[in-house]
This record gives sequence, structure tokens and C-alpha cells, in this order.
Amino acid sequence: MRRLTDVGALREAYDLVIVGAGPAGMAAAVEAAGQDRAVLVLDENPGPGGQIYRAIGTAPLRDPRVLGAAYWEGAALADAFAAAEVDYLPGATVWHLDDALEIGVSAGARSAVLPARRVILATGALERPMPLRGWTLPGVMSVGAGQALLKAQGIAPTGRVVLAGCGPLLWLYAAQCIAAGAAPSLILETTPRANWRGALRHLPAFLATPYARKGLALMARVRRHLRVVPHVAALAIDAEDGALRVTWAEGTAFTADHVLLHQGVVPTLNLARAAGCAIAWDEGNACFAPVTDAWGTASLPGIAVAGDGAGIAGAEAAALRGRLTALEALRALGVLDEAGRDARAAPHRAALARWSRGRAFLDALYRPAPHFCAAPPDAMACRCEEVTGAALRDAARMGATGPNQLKAFLRCGMGPCQGRMCGPTITETIAQERGIHPREVGYMRLRTPAKPITLGEFAALRKTEADRRAVERR
Amino acid sequence: MADAAIFDVAVIGGGVVGAAVARGLLGAGLSACILDEGDIAHRASRGNFALVWVQSKGLGMARYGAWTRASSDAWAAFAADLEAETGIDVAHRRPGGFNLCLSEQELETRRGALVRMHNQPGWIPYDWEVLDRAALAREFPDLGPEVVGGLFCPLDGHVNSLRLFRALHASFKAGGGAYRPEWPVTRIAPLSAGGFRIETPRGVVEAGKVVLAAGIANARLAPMVGLAAPVRPQRGQILVTEKAAPFLHYPIVTLRQTDEGSVMMGDSAEEAGLDERIGLGVLSVMAERAVRMFPRIAALNVVRTWAALRVMSQDGFPIYDQSEAAPGAFIATCHSGVTLAAAHGRLLAPMIARGALDADLAPFSARRFDVPQTA
Repeated sequence: MRRLTDVGALREAYDLVIVGAGPAGMAAAVEAAGQDRAVLVLDENPGPGGQIYRAIGTAPLRDPRVLGAAYWEGAALADAFAAAEVDYLPGATVWHLDDALEIGVSAGARSAVLPARRVILATGALERPMPLRGWTLPGVMSVGAGQALLKAQGIAPTGRVVLAGCGPLLWLYAAQCIAAGAAPSLILETTPRANWRGALRHLPAFLATPYARKGLALMARVRRHLRVVPHVAALAIDAEDGALRVTWAEGTAFTADHVLLHQGVVPTLNLARAAGCAIAWDEGNACFAPVTDAWGTASLPGIAVAGDGAGIAGAEAAALRGRLTALEALRALGVLDEAGRDARAAPHRAALARWSRGRAFLDALYRPAPHFCAAPPDAMACRCEEVTGAALRDAARMGATGPNQLKAFLRCGMGPCQGRMCGPTITETIAQERGIHPREVGYMRLRTPAKPITLGEFAALRKTEADRRAVERR
Repeated sequence: MADAAIFDVAVIGGGVVGAAVARGLLGAGLSACILDEGDIAHRASRGNFALVWVQSKGLGMARYGAWTRASSDAWAAFAADLEAETGIDVAHRRPGGFNLCLSEQELETRRGALVRMHNQPGWIPYDWEVLDRAALAREFPDLGPEVVGGLFCPLDGHVNSLRLFRALHASFKAGGGAYRPEWPVTRIAPLSAGGFRIETPRGVVEAGKVVLAAGIANARLAPMVGLAAPVRPQRGQILVTEKAAPFLHYPIVTLRQTDEGSVMMGDSAEEAGLDERIGLGVLSVMAERAVRMFPRIAALNVVRTWAALRVMSQDGFPIYDQSEAAPGAFIATCHSGVTLAAAHGRLLAPMIARGALDADLAPFSARRFDVPQTA
């Protein structure tokens, strides 16, 4: 891998640009490398690994038992990526993608716009917001953020710590904190009791998977160290005397120093949406996801989505899906014919089938309760523009039937986070208020820049005479 | 299908134009509904730049200059009414506005246009002036070195247009109006006994009067009631920065700081059909010009860009008409719906309620586009 330090070192154009260096992006790069095609990997972190293998080469916690075997398995992929013949620009923000496959990228406060013949979006997932009353108070953060601190800085929260929500990451993080010598005080588990009904039929397939045994052992270990309250159906956080009072049932509360929330992850949609790729409701994951085919190809020619960004399936599956999108890119770039592509894909598809077993059980079991996805009136829904659940509901009643009209009424989703923190909440809150399915509500339009860049960078982009005429009217 | 709901007037289009007219009609004592499209539509009202602008309006039609001026004069009371009714402050400010020029040639071109505009027959004069760099620097301490001069008009101002949009809807609802989103109109049929039957996939409405305020879609709807709306989309693009401490106390025609702190830039015009995609090159030209005017804003983060479609007639002026073939059918279509919101609510709506447009709106009839047949 040729590690670049700034946009000035980029080539004029690339055959394949991969956005993201998590498992999907690294695996795609490894698969596509060495075929006499110019491949570029752009990633916003300082090193490869994405969220799951964050700081894989530099993590301060060297004891492998703390972060666990699944984390350290990322090292092999990171090594293969380091050996691959690709250009790699870390610390890079990809802020634009369009249907002409023009990519806007910023690094070190300078931007470049470069064309690609194929693009693979491997931008992964982000945590589903959990808009409770008090979720924006100081001392409340997401489990994913807590885990990022643990991986990159070796920091675990101390004092009275509450984890609340549902999903595998909540349990994994609790186990990691325990191994790091900082056991949380309490888990408030929000998985609805009724989810078991839907999940049970998938249980046999799940029990046959390698991660069933590991997962159950991990949960048992966590239960030995701390109290777990199951089936929590209501939750709110209030500031009280410099601490956080967490209330989960009438008269039942716990005073904490830190509260970490989590209820699963959803695909990062911003670049795919800004480019104009179609999205659709994914009932299994209970979220919107880009529409993709068996090769990860999106609705716009030349753009593919790999990994959790195309629908949540986990790190191992992400790497395999990264390889499949790369093989299709190699076919499109004239390196492989269809037979060659299919032959190289066969073992990856077989492995993907193995890793996908049991996924349905996790999806069904950890499907978040709808009332934890919609913002109650007294919770902040859009953090950037400070729009409450009450304001969303009022506007929906006034006739803003979808998220795009809501933006016009309330500016929600128009701040620096570009809807990352509020997009799912807005859709779910309108759905709840109108009594319709989130699928019918739809998702907000997302725009360039997918992440903020400075006006100065915009001002320095290439312009044509026609561009000038459109503004100066000469 | 249930029986048609019956209103005195149905307004088609729930943007700033439609909502301002509909609210005015309620105020005149009529029962009114707004029939609107849904969450995804070509909505100029969601994309506008929020100026209440006078200084450059009217070259080619003196009456448009006067109409714009009248709206600008009515805006303060219009905003105060809205706030009293809804509690929403639309942040209307009228400190006067500037047009900053980055070359002597630009300044001369714009000055020349204003001189020609003010020399038109029938023009009602108002104050404006040319300012040199030194005079501008007194108003704008952060002015960039390339600004050579500019134009100033004390009548110009701006608002928070999203809050205006919400306030109009809140007022309409509070006044008993029926807002029906996701009711896209497919057919308007004049009834033999007078009035109109308006069909949508969601249901049917009957109304004594109908007002077409559907922007681009007016071109499709107008012929159904014997009117013409030769309008086309014209793409404009906008950049918005993160919020910053107040530094810009006047609106500039291409650049303004909102009451909430964001800096907005936008004054592009492209003929691109219904294509609402942005173009990085055009955005870059706007960003570059803004940075040359105020170098300090180069460090601000851009959080959003978009393109939206202006509703342009052939000469760029509004169209207001009542149908001769189907009396009671009115049309209101324009590109400066924010500037004209006060005129639409306080002047146009009462005329529609009375059933006749005032004679001095005759220059806005689409009949001006009829080319006389030559033998």
C-alpha cells in the first residue's frame, strides 16, 4: 500500500475508489489490488480498521483479552491491506459523490475533486439514535463512542456506569470494560419480551453458529459481574446534583456518573443518498438501506456499497461483501470476465452464507422497541438545530407529512451532522405520530457536503467559464 | 369515494405563494383549503434565499417595481401580524441592502441597469446610491480588498424564510383553513352552475373559486381553467455555512447572514430543466466571490448546499390573472415569493376575495405574452 499524506499526492483519476478502510474497504482493496488498475482507498481515520478494528495497529491495550479475539482477528486483514498495491489516503473526508462518479475529498484542509470509473462505498454503520429524555446531557454517550475510546485510547468509564439499550455491542462492551478492570454498575436491557416470539424460530440456526457459544459465554460472564435488568420498557435520564438519575420504571431509579446508550447500528446513508442512490426499507434491520444487488451494486451505474453500509451483517460478512464488490468492479474494469469473477467469488459466497446464518435471530431478538426509536415530546430529536420531539409532532400534525417538509418547517436534519444523529429519529417520530409505517414516511434527502468542509476549500475548486457565467451573468 | 368537501376557495400549492394567498383569503372571511403535493416535490419555497429585495426589481416593467416596493413596505406589518397570531418571529429586518462589486466593470454594469430602471416611464422613484470602497469599508470593517464599490438601497431587507413558511401554515391552520398535503391535483373542472370541481387521487374538493399557486405545475394546471402560465424552471444553487457570531449586519444580494448565524450564498441562474442537482463548479464560483468580499468567512464550514428551481416567466415578471372562460379561477405565479408574500397576503388576496383583480394589476396578465398575428 502506498500511503499518501495529502490530496496533492493523488493521481488525476482512478479506476476504482474505495471509501472506507474498515473490514469491507480493506478486503475490497486486497481483492482488487495487483491487477494493473489504479485503486485508491480514502478513509477518515488516521489508520485502517474502521470502527470494528479501530486502531488495530496502534491500540494501547496490548493484553488481547481486553478487546477480545474478534478484535485482534482484524490484524490479519490489516496486514494484507498494508501489503496490497493500492493508494491509501488516511485522514481524508469524502464530502461529495455524484452520478458522474466525481469524488470530492478533503485532507489537511485542502480539497480535490477526482473522477473514478468505479466507486465502492464501504462507509459502514453508525449507531441507531436512542432519543430519550436526557440523552443529550453531559455524561451520556453512546456505547460505540465508549468503545472507540477504549480501543484508541485505552479509556473506560469509571464511577457509577449504566449501560442501557440492546444489541450485541452492548454486551461486548460490558465484557471489555470488565476485562479492563472497570466493570459497569448496571445494564438496563430494553429488548422487548415480545421479540422472543419472532426470534425463537431462528434460534436453531443461531445455535449452530460459531458466535452463539461465544456470545452466550460472554453474556454469562457479564451477568456474573453486574446487575442486568431485563425488558426495560421506559427510560429517561435527568440531571441531578452533578450526577445522572436514570429512571426506568415507576419509582425505580439509579444515580450514575455515566450513562452509555445503544440500540444497534444502521447503515451510513449519506454518500449514497447525496449521490442519488435509491434506498429502501429493510424490515429485518428495521432501517433504510441502499438498494443493492448480489454484487453490492447500487441503483446508480458504477457505484457499489459493501459491508454494513449496505445492510447490517457484521464484520466477517462485511469483508466478504467487500471482496464481492471488488470482483464485480474488476469485471467492469475489464480485468475479469463473468466466469472468472464468479469463480473467484464462489468461496466468498460460501463463506458469506456461513456467516449469515444466525443473523436473522440477532435481528429479530434485538429489534429495538419502536417507542425507543421515536423521540418523546420532552426529548431532543435533532441535536444540531435543537428540535424536540414535541416540535416534530406539532409540525407533523400541522401537515409536514415527511422528513423533507419537516426540514422546511423546523430545520431538523440541516445542521453539521447532516442527519446522521437525527435521520432515523425523524422518520420514526413522524411514523408514530401519523400512525403509519416508517417505510411510508421515507427518509430525508441528504446533500453535499456529506461532511462539512470549509468555504475556502469550496472556493478553491476547479471552475469552468460556464460556471462563472451562471453566477456573474456576464 | 366520500362526497366532495366544499370551500369558498381552493388554493392549489402550499408554498410561500399559496400559503400567503390562502391566509389572506381566510382573513377576508372565506373558507379555504390548500391542496398540496407531498414530501418530495419541486418546491421553490424550500430552496429560496429569503431576501425581501427591491433595488434590482423592475427593469422592463415599471409596475413590477411598484408592486415589489408595495410588498416591501407592507412587510413589517405583515410580519408583526404573523407573530401576533402564531408566536413565530420570522425575523424580518429592513436595514437596507447592498450589491457589492468585485470590478469597476461590474459596478458600471449594475449602476447602468439601475439608472435605466429608474428612468423608465411610470417609474415611482425611490432612494438608492452608489458607494465607493471607502464608504463601504465604513459599513463593513471586514471588507475584502478586491471590493471596488457597490450599490445600496434602504428599502431592502430579509427574513427567516423557513420560519415564514411555518408561520404562514400555522396561521392558516389556526384560522380554520384546511391544509391537505399529499393531495396532488390531477384535474380541475369548471362547473356549469359556477365554481370548480378539483380532483386528486386522495379525494375531490369543490370550491367557488380556485387559485393556482403551484409554481412550475401552474404551467400544467392553467389550461384546465382557460388560463396560461408560460413558466419554466430556472435552477439556482445555494451554499450555507455553520453558524457564526454576527458580523454581517446588512443583506447583500448574493450573501447574507441569517438571524441564526448561518451565512448563505446564492445567486446563480441556470437553464437546466427539472434537474435539481448541484454543480461543484457553480458553487465554487459563489464561494470564491463570497470569500473575496469577506475573506474571514473562508474558515467557516459549509454544512449544506442545494439547488432549487425558480419559477420563471418569459420576461421574469409575475403572472396574475383571472380566467375569462372560467371566472373565479385565478393564477398567481412568480419567482420572488418571499419578497412578494406581504403583497400576496394583504393586497392580492382581498382582490381575489372580491372576485376581481384591480385594474393596475393588468400589466401582469399572461396576455402580455400573446404575439399579435401578422398578416
